[in-house]
Amino acid sequence: MVHALREAHRVLRPGGLLVDLRPAAKHRRIGLGQGRRWRLVGVMRETFDEDHAANRAVARVVRDGLFQRQARAEFGLDRVMDRMEDFHRWLEEFGKRRTVAAHGWLIRRLERALVTRPRRVRIVARGPMTLQVLRRLG
Amino acid sequence: MAISIDPAGRELRALGRVTRWRGLRVLEVGCGDGRLTLRLAQLGAAKIHAFDPDAGVVRAARTAIPARQARRIDYRVGHAERLPYRAHEFDCAVFAWAL
Repeated sequence: MVHALREAHRVLRPGGLLVDLRPAAKHRRIGLGQGRRWRLVGVMRETFDEDHAANRAVARVVRDGLFQRQARAEFGLDRVMDRMEDFHRWLEEFGKRRTVAAHGWLIRRLERALVTRPRRVRIVARGPMTLQVLRRLG
Repeated sequence: MAISIDPAGRELRALGRVTRWRGLRVLEVGCGDGRLTLRLAQLGAAKIHAFDPDAGVVRAARTAIPARQARRIDYRVGHAERLPYRAHEFDCAVFAWAL
């Protein structure tokens, strides 16, 4: 990670910006329905070791004087899925980038909840993103 | 089957507050299927060099570029630790869940 940040420092012009965008170190919440009609079905179990490592890498390049912290923000982001197959696909993709525990229990709970809901109800994974902006020094 | 990411557009608004993207040369690290790349183009970036180590997703991203943005986006397979670019070439680098 530190190598990647050093490479970014090399290719950025002085004063250029580095934007680090990733899911916040908080568990995604899975539910049915959108907007105010969203109802929680279960909370995913994630581990945040990769996030902590990324934070350490950012802290390192800041300490080394390559970048300066400029801004930080957090915002909610929904992933809206039509069907259980979409949820399986999303979970598989998510699991490639973040360590998640087995979620058979959540899948079963979602399937049970879907049986009693209108056909068109969507599966929605909710969870904040963090956006960090660093300015290139030197 | 469909997955819609951020239908409320919160990500786009958050990125819009980072800087004025119009005319910037942007490097995107970890572009995946190009979802965020298209948003950066929508914000007005002049040129986006986007790459990902997964050749399959880069192929898919290339086929999904809208014609009007084809000249502004360049997708490549690559790794963040070895960037094939000259020094000081970019105004902004976006790490999309790539750290």
